[in-house]
Amino acid sequence: MESVQSKDASVVTILDPKFKYEVAREPGGENIKYCFQCGTCTSGCKVAELDRKYNPRKIIRMVILGMRERVLASDFIWLCATCYTCHERCPQDVRIPEVMNALKNIAVREGYIHPAFRAQAELIAGNGRLYEVDELANERRTDWGLREIPQGSPEVAEIFGMTGLADLLSGGAGGTS
Amino acid sequence: MQQGIESSARIGVYVCHCGLNIAGVVDVEAVRESARSLEGVVVVRDNRYTCSEVGQKSIADDIRELMLNRVVIASCSPRLHEKTFRTLLEKSGLNPHLLEMANIREHCSWVHYDDPEAATEKAKHLVRSAVARARLLQPLSRAKGRVIPKVMVVGGGVAGISAALYLGGMGIKTYLVEREPSIGGHMAMLDKTFPTLDCSLCILSPKMVEVAECENIEILSLSEIEKVEGQVGDFRIQVRRKPRYVNEEKCVGCGDCAAKCPVKVEDEFNRNMGTRKAIYIPFPQAIPPAYVIDEKNCRYFTQGKCKVCEKVCERGAIEYDQTSYTETIEVGAIIVATGFQPYDARGLPQYGYGRFANVITSLDFERLICADGPTYGKLKRPGDGKVPKRVAFIQCVGSRNASSGDRGYESCPEMGPRAEAAEPKAYCSRVCCMITAKQAFMVLEKYPDAEVYVYYIDMRTAGKGFEEFYRRGRSEGIVFLRGKPGEIEETDDGCLRVVSEDMDSGCILDLTFDMVVLAQGLVPPHGLVELAQKMNLSRSEDGFLMEGHPKLRPAETGIDGIYLAGCVQFPKDIPDSVAQAGAAAAAAAVTCSKDTIEIDPLGPVIDAELCIGCKLCEMLCPYGAIRVELTDKGPKAKSIEVACKGCGVCGASCSTKAITMKHYTDSQLTAQAKAILEVV
Repeated sequence: MESVQSKDASVVTILDPKFKYEVAREPGGENIKYCFQCGTCTSGCKVAELDRKYNPRKIIRMVILGMRERVLASDFIWLCATCYTCHERCPQDVRIPEVMNALKNIAVREGYIHPAFRAQAELIAGNGRLYEVDELANERRTDWGLREIPQGSPEVAEIFGMTGLADLLSGGAGGTS
Repeated sequence: MQQGIESSARIGVYVCHCGLNIAGVVDVEAVRESARSLEGVVVVRDNRYTCSEVGQKSIADDIRELMLNRVVIASCSPRLHEKTFRTLLEKSGLNPHLLEMANIREHCSWVHYDDPEAATEKAKHLVRSAVARARLLQPLSRAKGRVIPKVMVVGGGVAGISAALYLGGMGIKTYLVEREPSIGGHMAMLDKTFPTLDCSLCILSPKMVEVAECENIEILSLSEIEKVEGQVGDFRIQVRRKPRYVNEEKCVGCGDCAAKCPVKVEDEFNRNMGTRKAIYIPFPQAIPPAYVIDEKNCRYFTQGKCKVCEKVCERGAIEYDQTSYTETIEVGAIIVATGFQPYDARGLPQYGYGRFANVITSLDFERLICADGPTYGKLKRPGDGKVPKRVAFIQCVGSRNASSGDRGYESCPEMGPRAEAAEPKAYCSRVCCMITAKQAFMVLEKYPDAEVYVYYIDMRTAGKGFEEFYRRGRSEGIVFLRGKPGEIEETDDGCLRVVSEDMDSGCILDLTFDMVVLAQGLVPPHGLVELAQKMNLSRSEDGFLMEGHPKLRPAETGIDGIYLAGCVQFPKDIPDSVAQAGAAAAAAAVTCSKDTIEIDPLGPVIDAELCIGCKLCEMLCPYGAIRVELTDKGPKAKSIEVACKGCGVCGASCSTKAITMKHYTDSQLTAQAKAILEVV
């Protein structure tokens, strides 16, 4: 079922043929099976230019092959900048950035959250924003005649609770490889 | 029982298994049983194959022994077997129009394969409604129509030329209609053909000359179809004849006129890369071999004075007073061979066609490398005339692209009504892989030290000698790169930067070329939508004309007497176009070989008592087949049977219900609809 590798890391002996259907059922992943591996996405990908680990064509190939574990536990699905260049050019309408969202959603449910995203989420949960407002900042604001910014945000925390994000963060969802 | 049998329906219902095609999904026994209790049904049977000898015999036996007077067959689409069963009824002594078919294969088992129960229920509904209509069916007599033993071929490319030659050779009078000044089509624009590298015009122009010399073929150049009336065996076609302003008979093609003509314009035959005069001949081998005046650019037509060509023409062939007129031509069959148009690569702006001078398309390349092209066969890049040393080809430009809707780009305003040519297409255009392989080869032939790269998704070389040609190309040094580039950037010196993922090496390639050739796909020709409407022809999802049957009637259409040849049906290469032209010519010749043709008795019956002469039907009829005429009882609608195609618009629109469609009467259709809606 799972994509288990033999001792030789490049030899894959077991594939999960259901994985592609699972991704296709996830919102955003609907068109993944249309991919015919032309490489247009990777050719124009700005992230791929900077970091060879990110190769949208390969990720889609791995999904279609059924390398479930390897895709979901990887950090490369988190690298998409959602610039939509590939989406515009893809001749098969695979909607790659949305496929990446679908993969990220599945990954999170499976307990894979990229450490960077976990850190961001925890910051927002705690502060209501991506950065911490400390005493000093508020003192400075007071000097400038601006009102103080409250530390923490119960409303945001509530949203985290309602959406289940709080559970995901506390549920011991591990980091990625 | 002998008398009055026609008035009370005795219906036989036959439910077909079609092997497992139907029975694999639909519960045929349940459908059979559901029909047993329907009013008028005398016998119900199921057959493994109703169309087989055994199946047909059981129907014939029942007609005789049980004195059936209506037959309902629940099987496949009437498109496949209606004729079979009508013939069976006729042989068994029943009027062929007393047959009704319920399509429980295409409409049930095939589309609802994943829901057998619902498919079975739907099949029961369809059978019930077919029985309801069958009760009300009336025998109809079929009229015999005349056959005019002549054919019109629309489109003078290699397909149309071939079809016309086959027909002319059989002694059949053939009109070859071409909207351009010369026949030849796209093949005349090609430099060489794959995989033999034959000079395209060297093999085409003998055929063009043969057309001109064939006494049975009449070429109507600069002509377009305006209106088509009638039916198989007896079409009346109005052809718009546009003026050439040069007498075809007198002109000998000496070219004195063009030499002296003061107006230079872009030459569309050379893909706007060279110039021609306002009086011109599209290419030296043109047929008819006569010059033509381009009235949009001619100084005499635009400014009212000049007439230089008239002065220099020793033969007195210039005729400024020619005008456009309509000619009506009667033929028994029509072959549509209007070809394709190349995909407009401006539709994919990431490749820069139209913005970057040195990005060209396959057809541009043909002109650039052709001895008769703008550079006289010396391959130079259009931007600065430099000889390209590094050339890239990109495959599948406008083909194999199923991306839907708006991709965020503004459509190009100057494309105007031709914007449809810039819509990418989902299908594979079939010829581009080989065109590219050929052109890459031709670059190396001209410049053996050039570097040639081909970016592809899949190489498709299915054809006689194609794979061998691909192999030869590789051995000549063409580098095939699997991986499609995302975009092209122009550098300061007019070169082109192409980034791609080379899947085979796993590298990102960032290469710069002197020239890039886009392998543009083949898309339906400009004006095909209108032509299809005039002839009542269906188009497939891809926009090309739909064939009669995808396997068995590839050169026919849904309309009897109208046939297809060449790319108008789907992109194909030259040998396939010629082969289909032969098939279409044979089919047209079969039609022309008959003395008379039986015409389906479809059309309106007008009740003069009820008709108030409101003219609504006349206004709505798409075929001009119903006209209101003054009679001694006032204005009354009158059907023109030969023009009628039985579409039913008049019957549906008649405000006083004076019009009844034969075989599709209101009572028949209402009974059918009610039976479907009935809750059992």
